[in-house]
Amino acid sequence: MPENLAVQIKDLSISYKINVESKKTLKNALMRASRGERVRTRTVEAVKNLTLDIPHGSVVGIVGANGAGKSTLMRSIAGILPPTTGRIAVNGRISTLLALGVGFNQALSGRDNIILGGLAAGMSRSEIENQTDAIAAFADLPEGFIDMPVRTYSNGMYSRVAFSVAVNMTPDILLLDEALSAGDAAFKEKSFNRMRQLCEEARTILIVSHALTSLNELCDHAIWLHKGQMLASGKPDDITEKYLKFLNVGELPSSYEDL
Amino acid sequence: MIEGSNKIQVFEPHNSALPPLKPYISEFWRRREFATELSKFSDKAEYLESKLGKVWLVLNPLFLAVIYYLLVTVIQGRSAQTNSFTVLCHILIGLFTFYFAQNCILLGAQSITSGGRLILNQAFPRSLLPFSSAISAARQFLPTLPVYISIVIIGKLVFNDTQLPGFTWNYLLIPFILMLLVITSFGLSLLFATMNVYFRDTTKLLSYIMRIWLYASPVLWQPEMLTGWYRIILYLNPLGPILSANSRIWIDGMAPTLSQLIGCLFWALSSILLGGYFFISRERDFAVRI
Repeated sequence: MPENLAVQIKDLSISYKINVESKKTLKNALMRASRGERVRTRTVEAVKNLTLDIPHGSVVGIVGANGAGKSTLMRSIAGILPPTTGRIAVNGRISTLLALGVGFNQALSGRDNIILGGLAAGMSRSEIENQTDAIAAFADLPEGFIDMPVRTYSNGMYSRVAFSVAVNMTPDILLLDEALSAGDAAFKEKSFNRMRQLCEEARTILIVSHALTSLNELCDHAIWLHKGQMLASGKPDDITEKYLKFLNVGELPSSYEDL
Repeated sequence: MIEGSNKIQVFEPHNSALPPLKPYISEFWRRREFATELSKFSDKAEYLESKLGKVWLVLNPLFLAVIYYLLVTVIQGRSAQTNSFTVLCHILIGLFTFYFAQNCILLGAQSITSGGRLILNQAFPRSLLPFSSAISAARQFLPTLPVYISIVIIGKLVFNDTQLPGFTWNYLLIPFILMLLVITSFGLSLLFATMNVYFRDTTKLLSYIMRIWLYASPVLWQPEMLTGWYRIILYLNPLGPILSANSRIWIDGMAPTLSQLIGCLFWALSSILLGGYFFISRERDFAVRI
C-alpha cells in the first residue's frame, strides 16, 4: 500500500443475505422444518466493484440515495463488515460514529458514557480519563448535565456528546455517518472547525451526509454512490450538483446510463 | 497515542471458518480493560437506582439461604438437626456455584443481541461482550463466598457437632475448580450467545433449561445418592463433575476423585473449544444479523 494513502479499496463488493422471516425464532425454524419449508432469504448486493484511493489529509463526502450502500461501505472500512470480494487496506487508527448514541447506557451519566465510548474505541482507561474533561468541555452541555443520566438528555445533547467523543479520539481516520446534523448552529461551527483542524494534522475524514451544503463546505472530494456502484467522483460542488439534479429529475444523467 | 496506531489493517474476504487466531487473541487481550470496565459500568447502571445498591448482591444469596433452609427443614423434619445442617451447607455452596454458571450463561447469551449498537459502530473481538458478562457474574458470585463461610462458622459454633470439616489443605484446590467452572460457563455462554443471534427466543428457552439443569445437577441432592449406572447422569451434565468436586472439597474436606477431575477437565475443554469455535467462526456475520 502506498505511503500517502489512508484508505485503499480495491474491487470491493459486499453482499449479504437477509432473512425475510418476520421473527427469527427457534419456534418458527422448527415449524418451518416440520412443514418442509426453507428459509426465505434475499441477497442484498450493497456495494459492487468499488475501487477508491483516499490519501491522508483528505475529507471525502459520500452522497447517495437511501439504500445506496453508503453505511455498508463505511462499516466495511471500519472492519465491521468483511468484504465479500476485494480488499480494503486501512493505514491508521479509526474512530467511528456510525450510529448515534452507540453503546450509550441510559442510566449512566454523560461522563461515564464518554469513558465507555473511549474504551470501546480501544483506548485505555487512563488515556480516556485524561481526555474526559476536554471532551465534556467540547460537548458544552448546559450546566450540570454532564453528570446526570443520559436518559435526561434531549436529542441534541445526546448527539453532541456522541460527536464529541468521536472527534476527540485523535483518530487518523474519522468515519462519520449522518452525524453532521448534531446540535445547533454554534455547535455545528465548532465541529466544523474541529474537523478542519483534524485535516490540517493530516488526518482523514469520511462523511456520509444528506446535508449537501455542509459537504460542499467541508470536503475536498466527493463521491456519489448509486445502488452500490460509484457513479461519479470529483469536486464536491460538481458531484452534489449532479446528485441534486438526479434527485429532482428522478433519472440518471445520460452519461451514466451505461453503467 | 494509542497502541496499534500507524498499523496497516487489511480487510479481506474470509475463506476459512476461523479468522487468524493469534491476532484475534492478542486483540482480545489488548482490549480486556474494555470488558472489565463495561462489566463495572453495567453493574453500576443496574444498582445505581436501587438504594440498597451493592448490599443487594449479598442480601440476595442470604434470602436464598433462608428459603432453602426452610425447604430442608420442612422436607427432612427437625429430627436430624446436625445432618440437615450439613445438607443445607451442601445446597448452599452448590446453589451459589450453580448461580454463577447460570448468570454467566444467561447474561452472556444476551450480550450480543443487546449490544447491537456497539457491534454496528466498532470493530472489536465480539467475544469481549460475553466475557464482560462472565466478569459481572463473577462479581456477583464472589460476595456469596464470605456469606457461606460465615454460615458454616456460625453453624459449627451453634450445633457444636457437625460433620463439616475445619480448615484443610484441600481448600487450596477450590480456585482450580472455580477456574474450570469459569472456563466451562464462558464456553457455554459463547455457544448460547451465537445461537441467540440466529434464534432470538434462545434466551427465553434458556430460563427453562437452566431450571431443569439445576434439578439435574447435584445441588438439591447429593452426588452419593446416585449409584451404579445412574452415576452417568453426573458426567453427562457439563456442570455435574464440577459441582460434585466442589461439594466434595467444601463439605467433605476431601480432594476430588480422579474421575471427577477428568470430568471437569473434559467439559471445560469441550465447552470452550466448541463454544469458541462456534462463536468466533460466526462473529463476523453478527453485524448483518443484529
